[in-house]
Order: sequence, then C-alpha cells, then structure tokens
Amino acid sequence: MSDAVVIARHLSKVVTSSEAPLQILDDVSLSIERSSSLAIVGASGSGKSTLLSLLAGLDLPSSGQVILAGEDLTALNEDQRATLRGREVGFVFQSFQLLDSLTALENVMLPLELAGRSDARERASELLQRVGLEARRQHYPQQLSGGEQQRVAIARAFASEPSILFADEPTGNLDAATGERISDLLFALNRERGTTLVLVTHDAQLADRCQHAVRMQAGRLLGDDA
Amino acid sequence: MNRPPLARLAWRLLRREWRAGELTVLLGALLIAVTISTAISLFTQRLERSMTDRAAEFLGADLVVSSRSPLPDSYAEQAAVNDLMLSHQLEFSSVMASDSAMQLSSVKAVDAAYPLRGELRISRSAFAEETATRCVPAAGEIWVEPRLLNQLGVQVGDSLEVGYATLRISAVLTHEPDRASDFYSLTPRVLMNLDDLDATGVVQPGSRVTYRLLLSGERQALERYRNWIEPLLAVNQRLSGVEDGNRQVGNALTRANQFLGLASIAAIILAGVAVALSSGRFALRHFDSSALLRCMGLQRRQVLTLFTLQLLYIGIIATVAGLALGLLVQWGLMQLLADLLPPRLPEPGVLPLLVGAATGFSALLGFALPPLLRLGNVAPLRVLRRDLEPMPVSSWLIYGLALAVLSLLMWQFTGDLTITLAMLFGGALAALLLGLLAWLLLRAVAGKLREASLAWRLGSGELLKRPTAAATQMLSFGLIFMCMLVVLILRTELLSTWQNQLPDDAPNHFVLNVLPAEQQAFSQALENIGARSAPLYPVTPGRLVSINGEPVRTEVSKEDGNRDRGTRAINRDLSLTWAAELPADNQLREGQWWPAVAAPAPSAMARVSIEAELADSLGVTLGDRLGFVIEGRTLDAEVSSVRSVEWDNFTPNFYMIFAPGDLDGFPATLLTSFYLPAEQRVALRELNRQFPAMTLLEVGPLLAQIRDILRQVTLAVEYVLLFVLLAGMTVLFAALQATLDERLYQGALLRTLGAGRALLRRASWMEFLLLGLMSGLMAVVAAELATWALYRFALNLDWAPHLLFWLLTPSAAALLIGCAGVWGTRAVLQQSPMRLINRGA
Repeated sequence: MSDAVVIARHLSKVVTSSEAPLQILDDVSLSIERSSSLAIVGASGSGKSTLLSLLAGLDLPSSGQVILAGEDLTALNEDQRATLRGREVGFVFQSFQLLDSLTALENVMLPLELAGRSDARERASELLQRVGLEARRQHYPQQLSGGEQQRVAIARAFASEPSILFADEPTGNLDAATGERISDLLFALNRERGTTLVLVTHDAQLADRCQHAVRMQAGRLLGDDA
Repeated sequence: MNRPPLARLAWRLLRREWRAGELTVLLGALLIAVTISTAISLFTQRLERSMTDRAAEFLGADLVVSSRSPLPDSYAEQAAVNDLMLSHQLEFSSVMASDSAMQLSSVKAVDAAYPLRGELRISRSAFAEETATRCVPAAGEIWVEPRLLNQLGVQVGDSLEVGYATLRISAVLTHEPDRASDFYSLTPRVLMNLDDLDATGVVQPGSRVTYRLLLSGERQALERYRNWIEPLLAVNQRLSGVEDGNRQVGNALTRANQFLGLASIAAIILAGVAVALSSGRFALRHFDSSALLRCMGLQRRQVLTLFTLQLLYIGIIATVAGLALGLLVQWGLMQLLADLLPPRLPEPGVLPLLVGAATGFSALLGFALPPLLRLGNVAPLRVLRRDLEPMPVSSWLIYGLALAVLSLLMWQFTGDLTITLAMLFGGALAALLLGLLAWLLLRAVAGKLREASLAWRLGSGELLKRPTAAATQMLSFGLIFMCMLVVLILRTELLSTWQNQLPDDAPNHFVLNVLPAEQQAFSQALENIGARSAPLYPVTPGRLVSINGEPVRTEVSKEDGNRDRGTRAINRDLSLTWAAELPADNQLREGQWWPAVAAPAPSAMARVSIEAELADSLGVTLGDRLGFVIEGRTLDAEVSSVRSVEWDNFTPNFYMIFAPGDLDGFPATLLTSFYLPAEQRVALRELNRQFPAMTLLEVGPLLAQIRDILRQVTLAVEYVLLFVLLAGMTVLFAALQATLDERLYQGALLRTLGAGRALLRRASWMEFLLLGLMSGLMAVVAAELATWALYRFALNLDWAPHLLFWLLTPSAAALLIGCAGVWGTRAVLQQSPMRLINRGA
C-alpha cells in the first residue's frame, strides 16, 4: 500500500443528461503499485476511459478521491493538476494526438521543452532512435503511417520520464501486426524505465501482458482479473 | 521543474507552425490589413497635403485670422514663436479719384510678404498679356483692376488720389489668389503697399476695415497655432483655413477626404473579416494542441499566454512587413502616377505608419483575440474525447470588442463621430437583418431542394446542415462584397458629380454692371462672339437689416460654425435680384414659387425667396418678414419660399430672389456668366469697348486650377478603389480558404462512398454558386442601405437606387465565389480521399 502510486477511493461519476442523471462510474476503488502494469478492460461504454481520465487528473469525480504520486487530485485545482501531470504523467492515445504542424522530432521535443530541458533535441533524437524512427525525424505526422505515429507518441510519452503512463486504447487504431509491435515497444520501454503503466483496452491479448487487469462493467469494477 | 520562459517557447512553436504552413492565412490576412491601410494612409496623406497646398493658394495662405478691429500683437508674436511665415493686410472701401472721376473701390493694403501662397498676376495695360509676379506694389504705387482704368479714364503711369495720398498706377492687377471666394464684389479692386496706409489717412477709429493676418508654414506648427488661437478668438474675429478658401475646391476636398476615409474603413472591415475568419480557423486547429499542452502540464493561464504571445508575434511580424510593403506599394503608385502628380509631393509623415500599425494590432485585438480566448477554455479531457469543444466566448465580448475597435479605427479615419456612429449602428443593424435574411433564405431553399437532383442536394446540404454557420459565411462574404460595392458606388457618384460641376464649357467669365438699357445689345453682342451665356440677372445691392422687425444680430457666437455663412452674408451688401422663374440649378425646399404672371397689388408686401443654408443660419422660416436697406430706403419683404442653391457651379447664384416688380424703382445693373473658348479671348476687348461700364471677371485660370485639383482627387479615388477591390478579392480568397477544411473532408468522405468526380464537381459548383449568389444579394441590399445613409447623413447627395448593381452584384458574386470555391476544393478531386480524411480526422 505504501508503494502505491495511484490510489482511487470510492470514485463515482454522474453526468446530467437531458433526461435523467447518468451514472458512469459507481463506487470504484483501486490501487496501483509503482512500476507495475495494470489493464482496465471492458466493453465500450463500460466507463473505462472515464476511469482513466479521473486517475490521470484530466477530469474530477462526482465523489470519491484520487491520490496520484502522493497528491490528492480532488484537493487540487486544474492548474495544480496540470503541473502534477507535467511532472509525473505521460499519455498515449488511441488517436495518437500528434501536433500536425510539428515534425516527429518536434513532437517528441515538446514535453521536454515545456519542462525547460536544454537537451530536448538530443533526448528526443535518442528516443526516436529507440522507437526505430530516427530516419523519419523530420517528417510530419501526415507523412507517417498509423503505427509510426503511435511510435512517435510513445517516444513523446516517455520523453518527460513520467512515473506513470496512461495509455488509452494504444493499439485501437492499428492492425493486429502493428498493434503487436506497438505493445512490444510499450512494455519494453515500461520495463526499461520502471514506469507504472495503466492502459485501457478491450484487447484481451494486450491486457494479458499486464501484471494486473481489472474489468469494468456498467460503471462498476468487477475485480482483479490477474 | 525549470520551465523555459513562455515567450521563447511561443516563438519556437510559432516558427514551427509557420514552417508547416499553418500561419499563412492568418498572417496573410493581417498583412493585407496593415499593407492596405498603410498604403492608403500614406497615399491619401501625401495627396491630401498636395491638394491642400494647391487649395491654400485660394486663400493666399494656409490660415487667415481676420477681424473688424486691429488684431492683438500676440497673434503675430505667437505665429513667430511657431516659426510661421506671416503677412499683414488691411482691406477697406475707399474712393479713388482721378482728375476727371471718382469711384468707390475695394482697397487691399499688403506688406511685402503677400501672398504667402499662390501668386499675383499683373499686366502692363488692360487686356495685355499677364505675367506672374513675386512683388507687391512698391511704396507710392498702386495696382488696379482693368475696369477701374475705364471708370476713372486713366492709364498705367497716371496717379490716383487715395485719401490724402497720391499714388501712381504702376500695373494692372489681373489676378489675386485670395480673390476667388468673392466673385460678387461689385466694386473694383485696388492693391497698395501697407507702408502707404498712414499717409492716406483713410483708416480712422470707427472705419469699416478688415484686418487680416495671413499665416503659412509646417502643418504641425499650423495645427499648434490653430489650437492656441481658437480659444482666444473674440466674437468679431474669424479663423479661415484652406477649406474655407474656395467653395468648389473646399467641397471637392471635403468629399474626397470623406471618400478616402470611407474607403479606408472598407479596407479595414475587409481586413477585419479576414482576420476574424482566419483566426477562427487558427483557433479551431489548435484545440487539440491546447488540450495536449494541458495534459503535458501547462496551466490554463500558461496556455492562454502562450497563444496570446504567438498572436503578438504574428502582429509584430505582420505589422513590420505590412508597413514595409505599404511604403513600397505607395512608392510604386507614386512612380506610376509621376506624370499626373505635382512635381514635388510633400513627404509623408509618421502618422500613416502609426495608423497602419494600429490597424494591424487593433484588427488582431478586435477580431482575433476572441476566437483565441476559446483556446484557454479547452478541457484537457479533449485528448480522450474529441467531441469536447470549448465553451464559446461570450458573443457580447466578441462583437463588443470588434465593434469597439472598428469604431475607434473609423473615428480615426473619418475624424467624424456622426459618420462613424451612423455607419456602426447602421452596419450592426444591417448585419443583423441580413443574417436573419440569409437564414430565412436558406430555410426557404431547403424546402425547395428536397426534390432536387443529388448534386443540388449535396451542394445545398453543405449549407443547410448548419444554417447558422452558413449564414455567418454568407454574412462575411456579403460584407466583403458590400465594402467593395459601396466604394465603387461612391466613386462613380463622386466622379460624375465633379464632372457635372465643371463641364468643359463651365462659365469662365463673369460680367457685372451691365446697364439695363443695354440688355438687348449685350445679349446680342455675347451671341455674336460665340459666348454661351447664363441668363442676365438684374442686381441691386442691398443690406439685410431686420428679421420680423428685430435688428439682425451682427455678432454671432463664434462657437456656432453653422452660423458663419449668416454672419458673412449680413455683414456686407448682398446682390439682390428678381426673377420670374426659379433658376435652373435651384430647388424649392419650402413654400411656393410665385406664378409666372404675377402682378402684385401696389400695397401688398414684397415677396422674397431665400437660400436654404442662409435661412437656416439666420433662423429664418417661411412667412418671416425681412427688412432690407437699399439705396438708403427700406423695403420689407415676406419670405415666400426657401430654395437650395448649387454653389459648386460657376453660374450666378443668389441668396435673395425677389418677385418681379418688387424691386421696381431701385437702380439695378445686370449680371451674368458665360463661357468663351480661350482662343476667342480677343473678342473681349471689343466687348469692353462697346460696353465701357461693364465689369469683366475672368475665372478661367481659377477653373483650370480647380480642374487640376479635381483631376488629382479623381486619380486618388480611382486608385483607392483599385486598392479596395484588390484587398476585397484577396480577403475573399483568404476567407474562403478558412472555410475549406471541413469541405475537403466531406468531399473525401463522399468519394469513399462512391461519389464520382463529376457529381462532386457539380455539387461543389452548386454550393459555391448558391453561396455567392446569396452573399451577392445580401451585399447589394446592404450597400444600398449604406449608401443611402451615407448620402443622406454624411455626403449631402441625392440618393437613387443603383439598379444595375442589383443585377450585376449577385451574378458576379456567384461567379467569383463559384470559381474560387471550386478551385480551392479541387484537392477533393485530385488527392487520395484517405489522405484528406486522415488529415481531417
């Protein structure tokens, strides 16, 4: 418990729709140990992405508490959460979320530059090399395949040396073979750098590679699959 | 964590965006705004200065202070402090006596510095070749008008008695620059040296004398002096600037300035539309970046600062480049027009550059900031849920800011708060109405199109899917077309007004003092020499002394500029005339013109028709009783009509016209104007011999001068129109560009669904033609509203619908937007749909 990097306690999320209030998350509690990997699985609409957004501090729960890297997210305002994200968290998204106007290298440099690192370029180059894209450094996202874009996104996610990495369906937009290579890369980097990995997926194979897995159904946590 | 300064980061990101081509449209729009407003400002300022210099010749100076009593020494001292050149003069009426005759004359005593602007022209004898001179009469000498030679039976070289002094006629005075404003003075003119004044002894306490201080110099110095003196002016002191020097030129200048100001506003609105559209697009394309930056740890405030800084950089770049380009454009224009412009144009000041820079930043502030503020509202959660759009910024803020900025800019350009407010509120109202109209049009079309072909449904579907967005686009394009149209209409109107004002055969001679007995013979003589003449009007000098029995106020509050004309009109003899018919150029405003065969009963009160502006300034209305003193006798007349007079043309015009018979019994002479081709000029000598009593005034040189000025103004107007049209086209493309992303995506999607290129091309044509047609329609409605308001409230012109434009504008707009839109979306047909979809996703 003492080494948990993310702790969620009795999380609920209710949104008001035009008809009745909609319960998206219902009393979810979990704890994620440092350097471990956790898969959150479930069908579409089960609330797994919402859980991810709450754990990462992108959104606030209607009730409950999230402790991320020792800080109570629910006690922080958005700006303080942003600072915490910048320091501790990395993201990989299903739709890659690369900036169209930046080259592959510049996309990876961005978090380093935001952190004021003077060696941004060198570090970003190394990371691109690590993900096997050193030849495509000057290419824009549009000129890259989906798999390549996701590799750039992974390089970017690890650039700021986050203690915890959130990945939302990282292989969701890719074919099976490419998805396989991407998850290899993700887990390899995760091991190399001792990062905590939280990933949301409905891909059972991907979930199986994590040390732990939890299943979501209709907003509730069904328990640890591992 | 040690963050780098946001300023540096913003710059670095901006450079990358630029390289990726993301900034082209926004930067381009802004560049156009700055370039156009700088170029227009520079061009008009230089031209205006040159025109003002020319117009100053009609005043003999840049600024004149005049008074019925001696002017305080401090006026001249302050002028010297401001490094202004100055010249003193006195004007008074005095009797000139030769051995055989006497004649009341209008005498001007001047110092050696006179005139400060323009030139005097003299000749050796009456009707001899005239030459320009830099001198004034030497002490002991006078220059007189040719008619005085006739009237006094003297020649150059003879002497005349002026008061106690005897002065020798050393030349014939043919042209005084500052004479132009006073065609109707009935007495012959004499110019003498100020040093002789004391010797004449004619100026005594209580004499009717006008003291004048003529000033000229640098603009800023003049402005400083004007500001200094205005609060000090006593009620009997008057300050005249260039605009007062000559009515025709003054009017032309005022209108040209108004036009140029309005054209600049049109250019600014154009630029504003472009900046608003392109920054909207910029913001839209940065929602994801904003969310991502928030995920990476940037705070809301920092994201906002980052984008604001980028905006600032864009502003600085666009401003610097725009100023340089503006200077270049203006320089090129001057080179192009070198033959038509005066040889030495005044150098431009710094002001146009400041205006250009201010335009750029204001456009950014007013039009680009609101969309960018949305970027601060992007939730970081957007990285997971792309449908999360930031809350729109309050529309009060958006439109309020844009309106505030626009009004400031407009105020700066027009210098006229009424025009500015009229245009703003009229514009806002028109935009609202037109937006509604567009929305209704779309709704109406939607109903009709359900049955139409697939291409039509696809094309119109793009517009109908989101009527509000489509209405906004139509409004933007409509606004662009409107701006171009208003400037085009105004230009056409202005040019034709000037053309009509001074046709090639505008009267170039005035003739006064034709004796009634000679009327037939004189008309015949004019016909014989081939002169085209206006009617002969009988004229009796008389003074307005009372209104409804109350003495006329001779001192009118100086704050009340409108009353100026009244003051001038009642402080001197008016030329009173009578006529059976309303003069051709006059228009009846109120009351009735007397029946053609009116024989007033001897006991009935005389009837008079008064000029409208004078009536306004004197507060005279229909039915009021005006008292005149004519030849020492009094005459009361009832105001039976009020008429407007076309002062801009060169035909005789009158403040007061009496009914026929009302002035019977008062001595009268006849007056007219006529056109005589220059080569016929010799015939005048014979005319003069035949009618020795008449006074002939040549206004040909004056006409030429005015035509010259009008030609320059016309040129300026034409080129500014060209600027505005060019700007309009550029902005149109920029604006269209800003709306294309979504269209490309849709087109690509349709192709993946199996739509053929031909169908897409047809749908594309339908969509853009429809968009163009409707924006054209809106533009013409708005332009008519705008020109109506401008004509009515600002330019004092008569308005009539511009039917041709109702036909031309919608079709031209449809064609333009059609071609530009289809060209802009050609990628849909050429590129791989997958690529477009990936880009749009």
